[in-house]
Amino acid sequence: LIKSGGGDTLNASIRAISYYLPEQILNNDQLAAIYDNWTAEKIFEKTGIKTRHIASEDEYASDLAEKAALLLFEENDINPEDIDFIMLATQSPDYILPTTACILQNRLGIPKSAGAIDYNLGCSAFIYGLALSKGLISTNICKNVLLIMAETYSKHIHPMDKSTRTIFGDGAAAILVSMNEIDGINEFILGTDGSGAGNLIIPAGGMKLKNSNDTIIDVEDENGSIRSSQNLYMNGPEVFNFTIDVVPKTVNDVLIKNHLSMDDIDLFIFHQANQFMLNYLRKKIKIPEEKFYVNIEQTGNTVSASIPIALRMAEKEGRIKKGDKVLLVGFGVGLSWGATIIRW
Amino acid sequence: MRSVVKVPDNEKIALLEEMLDLDNGTLKVETKLDAINNWDSMAVISLIALFDEYAGETITITQIKELVTIKDILDLWNSAMGSND
Repeated sequence: LIKSGGGDTLNASIRAISYYLPEQILNNDQLAAIYDNWTAEKIFEKTGIKTRHIASEDEYASDLAEKAALLLFEENDINPEDIDFIMLATQSPDYILPTTACILQNRLGIPKSAGAIDYNLGCSAFIYGLALSKGLISTNICKNVLLIMAETYSKHIHPMDKSTRTIFGDGAAAILVSMNEIDGINEFILGTDGSGAGNLIIPAGGMKLKNSNDTIIDVEDENGSIRSSQNLYMNGPEVFNFTIDVVPKTVNDVLIKNHLSMDDIDLFIFHQANQFMLNYLRKKIKIPEEKFYVNIEQTGNTVSASIPIALRMAEKEGRIKKGDKVLLVGFGVGLSWGATIIRW
Repeated sequence: MRSVVKVPDNEKIALLEEMLDLDNGTLKVETKLDAINNWDSMAVISLIALFDEYAGETITITQIKELVTIKDILDLWNSAMGSND
Protein backbone atom coordinates (compact mmCIF):
# COMPACT_ATOMS: atom_id res chain seq x y z
CA LEU A 1 0.00 0.00 0.00
CA ILE A 2 1.04 3.57 -0.66
CA LYS A 3 1.03 5.16 2.80
CA SER A 4 -0.05 8.65 3.70
CA GLY A 5 2.50 11.15 2.43
CA GLY A 6 4.01 8.60 0.01
CA GLY A 7 4.43 8.73 -3.78
CA ASP A 8 1.52 10.24 -5.63
CA THR A 9 0.31 8.51 -8.79
CA LEU A 10 -3.24 9.82 -8.40
CA ASN A 11 -4.62 6.62 -9.97
CA ALA A 12 -7.13 4.53 -8.04
CA SER A 13 -8.01 0.85 -8.15
CA ILE A 14 -9.87 -1.78 -6.17
CA ARG A 15 -7.23 -3.69 -4.18
CA ALA A 16 -9.37 -6.18 -2.29
CA ILE A 17 -12.96 -7.15 -1.43
CA SER A 18 -14.32 -9.22 1.45
CA TYR A 19 -17.88 -9.76 2.54
CA TYR A 20 -19.85 -10.94 5.51
CA LEU A 21 -23.31 -12.54 5.54
CA PRO A 22 -25.22 -12.95 8.82
CA GLU A 23 -25.59 -16.54 10.11
CA GLN A 24 -29.38 -16.64 10.29
CA ILE A 25 -30.98 -18.01 7.13
CA LEU A 26 -34.47 -17.55 5.68
CA ASN A 27 -35.38 -20.16 3.06
CA ASN A 28 -38.25 -20.54 0.59
CA ASP A 29 -39.97 -23.30 2.61
CA GLN A 30 -40.29 -20.93 5.55
CA LEU A 31 -41.77 -18.23 3.29
CA ALA A 32 -44.12 -20.61 1.42
CA ALA A 33 -45.50 -21.76 4.79
CA ILE A 34 -46.78 -18.26 5.61
CA TYR A 35 -47.80 -16.97 2.15
CA ASP A 36 -51.06 -18.37 0.71
CA ASN A 37 -50.81 -19.93 -2.78
CA TRP A 38 -47.00 -19.73 -2.87
CA THR A 39 -44.68 -22.72 -3.02
CA ALA A 40 -40.93 -22.83 -2.41
CA GLU A 41 -40.47 -23.77 -6.08
CA LYS A 42 -42.53 -20.82 -7.31
CA ILE A 43 -40.49 -18.39 -5.20
CA PHE A 44 -37.25 -19.83 -6.60
CA GLU A 45 -38.55 -19.83 -10.16
CA LYS A 46 -39.63 -16.18 -10.00
CA THR A 47 -36.68 -14.75 -8.04
CA GLY A 48 -33.76 -17.16 -8.55
CA ILE A 49 -33.29 -17.04 -4.78
CA LYS A 50 -33.26 -20.05 -2.42
CA THR A 51 -31.98 -18.51 0.80
CA ARG A 52 -31.38 -15.06 2.28
CA HIS A 53 -29.14 -14.23 5.23
CA ILE A 54 -30.91 -12.20 7.90
CA ALA A 55 -29.28 -10.14 10.66
CA SER A 56 -30.32 -11.28 14.12
CA GLU A 57 -32.39 -8.95 16.29
CA ASP A 58 -29.34 -7.47 18.03
CA GLU A 59 -27.09 -7.38 14.96
CA TYR A 60 -26.94 -4.03 13.13
CA ALA A 61 -25.39 -2.45 10.03
CA SER A 62 -22.30 -1.44 12.07
CA ASP A 63 -21.80 -5.07 13.16
CA LEU A 64 -22.02 -6.41 9.61
CA ALA A 65 -19.69 -3.62 8.45
CA GLU A 66 -17.17 -4.37 11.20
CA LYS A 67 -17.12 -8.09 10.41
CA ALA A 68 -16.67 -7.47 6.67
CA ALA A 69 -13.84 -4.97 7.34
CA LEU A 70 -12.06 -7.32 9.77
CA LEU A 71 -12.24 -10.06 7.13
CA LEU A 72 -10.81 -7.64 4.56
CA PHE A 73 -7.88 -6.81 6.86
CA GLU A 74 -7.25 -10.46 7.75
CA GLU A 75 -7.60 -12.00 4.28
CA ASN A 76 -5.39 -9.38 2.64
CA ASP A 77 -2.91 -8.62 5.41
CA ILE A 78 -4.02 -4.97 5.61
CA ASN A 79 -3.06 -2.84 8.58
CA PRO A 80 -5.95 -0.60 9.74
CA GLU A 81 -3.31 2.06 10.46
CA ASP A 82 -2.97 2.55 6.68
CA ILE A 83 -6.63 3.47 6.13
CA ASP A 84 -7.06 7.24 5.78
CA PHE A 85 -10.74 7.42 4.78
CA ILE A 86 -13.86 5.40 5.69
CA MET A 87 -16.86 5.72 3.39
CA LEU A 88 -19.95 3.73 4.28
CA ALA A 89 -23.26 3.30 2.47
CA THR A 90 -26.31 2.18 4.40
CA GLN A 91 -30.04 2.86 4.52
CA SER A 92 -30.44 1.05 7.83
CA PRO A 93 -27.94 2.89 10.06
CA ASP A 94 -27.60 2.13 13.79
CA TYR A 95 -28.61 5.73 14.57
CA ILE A 96 -29.97 8.76 12.73
CA LEU A 97 -26.81 10.31 14.14
CA PRO A 98 -23.89 9.81 14.69
CA THR A 99 -22.52 8.52 11.40
CA THR A 100 -21.89 4.75 11.28
CA ALA A 101 -18.47 5.30 9.67
CA CYS A 102 -17.38 7.36 12.72
CA ILE A 103 -18.34 4.51 15.06
CA LEU A 104 -16.35 2.11 12.88
CA GLN A 105 -13.21 4.28 13.02
CA ASN A 106 -13.05 3.51 16.72
CA ARG A 107 -14.11 -0.13 16.51
CA LEU A 108 -11.64 -0.96 13.73
CA GLY A 109 -8.64 0.87 15.19
CA ILE A 110 -8.36 3.22 12.23
CA PRO A 111 -6.25 6.35 12.94
CA LYS A 112 -8.01 9.50 14.15
CA SER A 113 -6.45 11.30 11.18
CA ALA A 114 -8.84 9.40 8.85
CA GLY A 115 -11.93 11.04 7.34
CA ALA A 116 -15.26 9.23 7.74
CA ILE A 117 -18.66 9.67 6.11
CA ASP A 118 -21.89 7.76 5.55
CA TYR A 119 -23.96 8.28 2.44
CA ASN A 120 -27.55 7.30 1.81
CA LEU A 121 -27.98 5.28 -1.37
CA GLY A 122 -29.17 1.74 -2.04
CA CYS A 123 -28.57 -0.44 -5.08
CA SER A 124 -26.51 2.23 -6.90
CA ALA A 125 -24.31 2.95 -3.85
CA PHE A 126 -21.29 0.86 -4.83
CA ILE A 127 -20.86 2.69 -8.14
CA TYR A 128 -21.15 6.06 -6.37
CA GLY A 129 -18.67 4.86 -3.72
CA LEU A 130 -16.14 4.01 -6.41
CA ALA A 131 -16.69 7.40 -8.08
CA LEU A 132 -16.24 9.30 -4.80
CA SER A 133 -13.23 7.20 -3.75
CA LYS A 134 -11.59 7.83 -7.11
CA GLY A 135 -12.28 11.55 -6.69
CA LEU A 136 -10.67 11.63 -3.23
CA ILE A 137 -7.61 9.70 -4.38
CA SER A 138 -7.08 11.55 -7.65
CA THR A 139 -7.13 14.88 -5.79
CA ASN A 140 -4.60 13.51 -3.25
CA ILE A 141 -7.00 13.96 -0.34
CA CYS A 142 -6.38 10.36 0.74
CA LYS A 143 -4.68 7.19 -0.42
CA ASN A 144 -6.50 4.21 1.07
CA VAL A 145 -10.29 4.34 1.22
CA LEU A 146 -12.12 1.68 3.20
CA LEU A 147 -15.41 1.56 1.29
CA ILE A 148 -18.18 -0.36 3.07
CA MET A 149 -21.64 -1.39 1.90
CA ALA A 150 -23.67 -2.54 4.93
CA GLU A 151 -27.38 -3.21 4.71
CA THR A 152 -30.03 -4.79 6.92
CA TYR A 153 -33.20 -4.17 4.89
CA SER A 154 -34.82 -7.09 6.79
CA LYS A 155 -35.31 -4.68 9.71
CA HIS A 156 -37.47 -2.47 7.46
CA ILE A 157 -39.51 -5.30 5.92
CA HIS A 158 -42.91 -6.44 7.20
CA PRO A 159 -42.87 -10.26 7.64
CA MET A 160 -46.04 -10.51 5.52
CA ASP A 161 -44.77 -8.41 2.59
CA LYS A 162 -44.19 -10.99 -0.13
CA SER A 163 -42.93 -8.43 -2.66
CA THR A 164 -39.85 -7.51 -0.60
CA ARG A 165 -39.26 -10.34 1.88
CA THR A 166 -38.80 -12.92 -0.90
CA ILE A 167 -36.11 -10.79 -2.55
CA PHE A 168 -33.94 -8.92 -0.06
CA GLY A 169 -31.18 -10.39 2.09
CA ASP A 170 -28.83 -8.71 4.57
CA GLY A 171 -25.08 -8.47 4.11
CA ALA A 172 -22.01 -6.26 4.05
CA ALA A 173 -19.01 -5.88 1.77
CA ALA A 174 -15.74 -4.12 2.56
CA ILE A 175 -13.64 -2.85 -0.31
CA LEU A 176 -10.16 -1.32 -0.26
CA VAL A 177 -9.80 1.37 -2.92
CA SER A 178 -6.19 2.55 -3.07
CA MET A 179 -3.84 4.88 -4.86
CA ASN A 180 -2.08 2.69 -7.36
CA GLU A 181 0.27 2.80 -10.35
CA ILE A 182 -2.52 1.23 -12.39
CA ASP A 183 -5.63 3.20 -13.33
CA GLY A 184 -8.13 0.50 -12.33
CA ILE A 185 -11.34 2.52 -12.14
CA ASN A 186 -12.27 4.12 -15.45
CA GLU A 187 -14.96 6.57 -16.59
CA PHE A 188 -18.42 6.80 -15.00
CA ILE A 189 -22.01 7.39 -16.05
CA LEU A 190 -24.27 8.51 -13.17
CA GLY A 191 -27.96 9.35 -13.20
CA THR A 192 -30.90 10.33 -11.01
CA ASP A 193 -34.67 10.58 -11.38
CA GLY A 194 -36.27 11.88 -8.21
CA SER A 195 -39.74 11.71 -9.79
CA GLY A 196 -39.63 7.99 -8.92
CA ALA A 197 -38.77 8.57 -5.24
CA GLY A 198 -42.08 7.06 -4.11
CA ASN A 199 -41.50 3.74 -5.86
CA LEU A 200 -38.99 2.49 -3.27
CA ILE A 201 -39.56 4.19 0.03
CA ILE A 202 -40.02 3.90 3.78
CA PRO A 203 -42.64 6.65 4.20
CA ALA A 204 -42.40 7.09 7.99
CA GLY A 205 -39.57 7.49 10.48
CA GLY A 206 -37.96 10.64 9.09
CA MET A 207 -38.81 14.20 10.06
CA LYS A 208 -41.61 14.55 7.51
CA LEU A 209 -43.73 11.69 8.87
CA LYS A 210 -42.56 10.83 12.37
CA ASN A 211 -43.28 7.37 13.79
CA SER A 212 -46.56 7.41 15.69
CA ASN A 213 -49.51 5.19 16.55
CA ASP A 214 -50.83 5.91 13.04
CA THR A 215 -47.67 4.86 11.21
CA ILE A 216 -47.61 1.39 12.80
CA ILE A 217 -51.04 0.44 11.42
CA ASP A 218 -50.76 -2.55 9.06
CA VAL A 219 -52.52 -2.27 5.70
CA GLU A 220 -53.08 -5.09 3.20
CA ASP A 221 -52.46 -4.17 -0.46
CA GLU A 222 -54.21 -5.52 -3.59
CA ASN A 223 -51.66 -8.35 -3.88
CA GLY A 224 -52.24 -9.56 -0.33
CA SER A 225 -48.99 -8.15 1.05
CA ILE A 226 -49.16 -6.40 4.42
CA ARG A 227 -47.08 -3.43 5.59
CA SER A 228 -47.24 -0.21 7.62
CA SER A 229 -45.79 3.23 6.76
CA GLN A 230 -42.70 2.31 8.80
CA ASN A 231 -41.92 -0.61 6.48
CA LEU A 232 -40.16 -0.75 3.16
CA TYR A 233 -42.49 -0.31 0.19
CA MET A 234 -41.47 -1.31 -3.32
CA ASN A 235 -43.61 -0.78 -6.40
CA GLY A 236 -42.11 -3.73 -8.30
CA PRO A 237 -43.70 -3.01 -11.71
CA GLU A 238 -42.64 0.70 -11.66
CA VAL A 239 -39.10 -0.23 -10.60
CA PHE A 240 -38.99 -2.83 -13.38
CA ASN A 241 -40.15 -0.24 -15.93
CA PHE A 242 -37.47 2.18 -14.74
CA THR A 243 -34.79 -0.51 -14.95
CA ILE A 244 -35.54 -1.72 -18.48
CA ASP A 245 -35.56 1.89 -19.62
CA VAL A 246 -32.40 3.12 -17.91
CA VAL A 247 -30.00 0.16 -17.74
CA PRO A 248 -29.59 -0.58 -21.49
CA LYS A 249 -28.94 3.14 -22.18
CA THR A 250 -26.47 3.34 -19.29
CA VAL A 251 -24.51 0.31 -20.55
CA ASN A 252 -24.32 1.90 -23.98
CA ASP A 253 -23.27 5.29 -22.59
CA VAL A 254 -20.55 3.91 -20.31
CA LEU A 255 -19.06 1.92 -23.20
CA ILE A 256 -18.98 5.06 -25.38
CA LYS A 257 -17.45 7.15 -22.59
CA ASN A 258 -14.69 4.57 -22.13
CA HIS A 259 -14.14 4.17 -25.91
CA LEU A 260 -14.92 0.45 -25.66
CA SER A 261 -17.37 -1.95 -27.32
CA MET A 262 -19.33 -4.87 -25.84
CA ASP A 263 -16.68 -7.27 -27.15
CA ASP A 264 -13.96 -5.56 -25.10
CA ILE A 265 -15.72 -6.40 -21.82
CA ASP A 266 -14.70 -9.66 -20.11
CA LEU A 267 -17.57 -9.75 -17.61
CA PHE A 268 -20.74 -7.75 -16.94
CA ILE A 269 -21.83 -7.51 -13.30
CA PHE A 270 -25.13 -5.74 -12.66
CA HIS A 271 -26.74 -5.07 -9.30
CA GLN A 272 -28.05 -8.52 -8.33
CA ALA A 273 -31.72 -7.51 -8.15
CA ASN A 274 -33.48 -10.77 -9.00
CA GLN A 275 -33.07 -13.49 -11.60
CA PHE A 276 -36.05 -12.47 -13.75
CA MET A 277 -34.90 -8.86 -14.10
CA LEU A 278 -31.27 -9.83 -14.75
CA ASN A 279 -32.22 -12.39 -17.40
CA TYR A 280 -34.48 -9.90 -19.11
CA LEU A 281 -31.82 -7.17 -19.10
CA ARG A 282 -29.19 -9.58 -20.43
CA LYS A 283 -31.42 -10.58 -23.35
CA LYS A 284 -32.46 -7.00 -24.08
CA ILE A 285 -28.88 -5.71 -24.11
CA LYS A 286 -27.74 -8.85 -25.98
CA ILE A 287 -24.96 -9.80 -23.59
CA PRO A 288 -23.68 -13.37 -24.13
CA GLU A 289 -24.61 -15.61 -21.18
CA GLU A 290 -20.98 -16.55 -20.45
CA LYS A 291 -20.09 -12.88 -20.00
CA PHE A 292 -22.95 -12.12 -17.60
CA TYR A 293 -22.63 -12.87 -13.91
CA VAL A 294 -25.64 -13.90 -11.80
CA ASN A 295 -25.26 -15.32 -8.31
CA ILE A 296 -28.12 -14.59 -5.94
CA GLU A 297 -29.32 -18.09 -5.06
CA GLN A 298 -27.79 -18.11 -1.56
CA THR A 299 -27.78 -14.38 -0.73
CA GLY A 300 -30.84 -12.73 -2.26
CA ASN A 301 -30.65 -9.07 -3.25
CA THR A 302 -28.23 -7.51 -0.75
CA VAL A 303 -28.83 -3.94 -2.02
CA SER A 304 -25.57 -1.91 -2.02
CA ALA A 305 -23.45 -4.97 -1.18
CA SER A 306 -24.66 -7.04 -4.14
CA ILE A 307 -22.10 -5.89 -6.76
CA PRO A 308 -18.97 -6.21 -4.57
CA ILE A 309 -20.19 -9.61 -3.27
CA ALA A 310 -20.72 -10.73 -6.87
CA LEU A 311 -17.25 -9.42 -7.84
CA ARG A 312 -15.63 -11.43 -5.04
CA MET A 313 -17.65 -14.56 -5.90
CA ALA A 314 -16.73 -14.19 -9.59
CA GLU A 315 -13.07 -13.88 -8.64
CA LYS A 316 -13.23 -16.98 -6.42
CA GLU A 317 -14.91 -18.93 -9.24
CA GLY A 318 -12.20 -17.87 -11.69
CA ARG A 319 -14.68 -15.88 -13.81
CA ILE A 320 -12.43 -12.79 -13.58
CA LYS A 321 -8.66 -12.63 -13.60
CA LYS A 322 -6.07 -9.90 -13.31
CA GLY A 323 -6.31 -7.35 -16.10
CA ASP A 324 -9.92 -8.19 -17.06
CA LYS A 325 -12.31 -5.37 -17.92
CA VAL A 326 -15.51 -5.63 -15.88
CA LEU A 327 -18.55 -3.44 -16.56
CA LEU A 328 -20.56 -2.66 -13.41
CA VAL A 329 -24.09 -1.19 -13.24
CA GLY A 330 -26.06 -0.26 -10.11
CA PHE A 331 -29.69 0.91 -10.16
CA GLY A 332 -32.49 1.36 -7.66
CA VAL A 333 -33.87 3.50 -4.84
CA GLY A 334 -33.79 7.26 -5.52
CA LEU A 335 -34.32 6.51 -8.29
CA SER A 336 -30.58 6.44 -8.85
CA TRP A 337 -28.20 4.65 -11.18
CA GLY A 338 -24.55 4.49 -12.13
CA ALA A 339 -22.08 2.49 -14.19
CA THR A 340 -18.34 2.21 -14.61
CA ILE A 341 -15.73 -0.09 -16.09
CA ILE A 342 -12.99 -1.43 -13.84
CA ARG A 343 -9.75 -3.17 -14.67
CA TRP A 344 -9.32 -6.08 -12.27
CA MET B 1 -32.70 -1.22 -28.93
CA ARG B 2 -36.38 -1.09 -30.00
CA SER B 3 -37.59 -4.09 -31.86
CA VAL B 4 -41.08 -5.00 -32.93
CA VAL B 5 -42.06 -8.62 -33.49
CA LYS B 6 -45.41 -9.15 -35.20
CA VAL B 7 -47.35 -11.89 -33.45
CA PRO B 8 -50.87 -13.11 -34.36
CA ASP B 9 -53.50 -13.00 -31.58
CA ASN B 10 -53.55 -16.78 -30.98
CA GLU B 11 -49.79 -16.75 -30.44
CA LYS B 12 -50.13 -13.77 -28.13
CA ILE B 13 -52.54 -15.79 -26.01
CA ALA B 14 -50.10 -18.72 -26.02
CA LEU B 15 -47.35 -16.34 -24.81
CA LEU B 16 -49.62 -15.07 -22.05
CA GLU B 17 -50.40 -18.67 -21.00
CA GLU B 18 -46.71 -19.46 -20.89
CA MET B 19 -46.06 -16.28 -18.90
CA LEU B 20 -48.73 -17.24 -16.35
CA ASP B 21 -47.68 -20.93 -16.14
CA LEU B 22 -51.06 -22.00 -17.52
CA ASP B 23 -51.88 -24.97 -19.78
CA ASN B 24 -52.47 -24.34 -23.47
CA GLY B 25 -56.07 -23.35 -24.18
CA THR B 26 -56.80 -22.13 -20.64
CA LEU B 27 -57.15 -18.48 -21.63
CA LYS B 28 -59.97 -17.14 -23.81
CA VAL B 29 -60.34 -13.57 -25.04
CA GLU B 30 -63.18 -13.07 -22.57
CA THR B 31 -61.24 -14.48 -19.55
CA LYS B 32 -61.23 -11.92 -16.73
CA LEU B 33 -57.77 -11.20 -15.28
CA ASP B 34 -59.17 -11.20 -11.73
CA ALA B 35 -60.25 -14.81 -12.24
CA ILE B 36 -56.71 -15.96 -13.05
CA ASN B 37 -54.97 -17.37 -9.99
CA ASN B 38 -51.47 -16.30 -11.07
CA TRP B 39 -52.45 -12.74 -11.94
CA ASP B 40 -50.29 -10.95 -9.34
CA SER B 41 -47.59 -8.28 -9.21
CA MET B 42 -45.07 -10.74 -10.66
CA ALA B 43 -47.43 -11.34 -13.60
CA VAL B 44 -47.68 -7.57 -14.11
CA ILE B 45 -43.86 -7.37 -14.30
CA SER B 46 -43.83 -10.28 -16.76
CA LEU B 47 -46.42 -8.47 -18.90
CA ILE B 48 -44.28 -5.32 -18.96
CA ALA B 49 -41.34 -7.47 -20.12
CA LEU B 50 -43.48 -9.16 -22.78
CA PHE B 51 -44.65 -5.81 -24.21
CA ASP B 52 -41.13 -4.41 -24.13
CA GLU B 53 -39.78 -7.48 -25.93
CA TYR B 54 -42.47 -7.99 -28.55
CA ALA B 55 -43.97 -4.54 -29.07
CA GLY B 56 -40.89 -2.44 -28.22
CA GLU B 57 -43.20 -0.38 -26.05
CA THR B 58 -43.21 0.56 -22.38
CA ILE B 59 -46.63 0.18 -20.77
CA THR B 60 -47.48 2.12 -17.66
CA ILE B 61 -48.97 0.81 -14.45
CA THR B 62 -52.01 3.03 -15.10
CA GLN B 63 -52.58 1.25 -18.42
CA ILE B 64 -52.23 -2.16 -16.72
CA LYS B 65 -54.71 -1.21 -13.99
CA GLU B 66 -57.32 -0.48 -16.67
CA LEU B 67 -57.07 -4.01 -18.10
CA VAL B 68 -60.06 -6.23 -17.30
CA THR B 69 -59.97 -9.14 -19.77
CA ILE B 70 -57.46 -10.91 -22.00
CA LYS B 71 -59.04 -9.01 -24.91
CA ASP B 72 -57.95 -5.74 -23.30
CA ILE B 73 -54.35 -7.02 -23.24
CA LEU B 74 -54.57 -7.99 -26.92
CA ASP B 75 -56.03 -4.58 -27.83
CA LEU B 76 -53.29 -2.75 -25.96
CA TRP B 77 -50.66 -5.00 -27.54
CA ASN B 78 -52.02 -4.36 -31.06
CA SER B 79 -52.25 -0.61 -30.55
CA ALA B 80 -48.69 -0.61 -29.13
CA MET B 81 -47.49 -2.23 -32.35
CA GLY B 82 -49.60 0.13 -34.44
CA SER B 83 -51.30 -2.74 -36.26
CA ASN B 84 -54.19 -5.16 -35.92
CA ASP B 85 -52.77 -8.34 -37.38
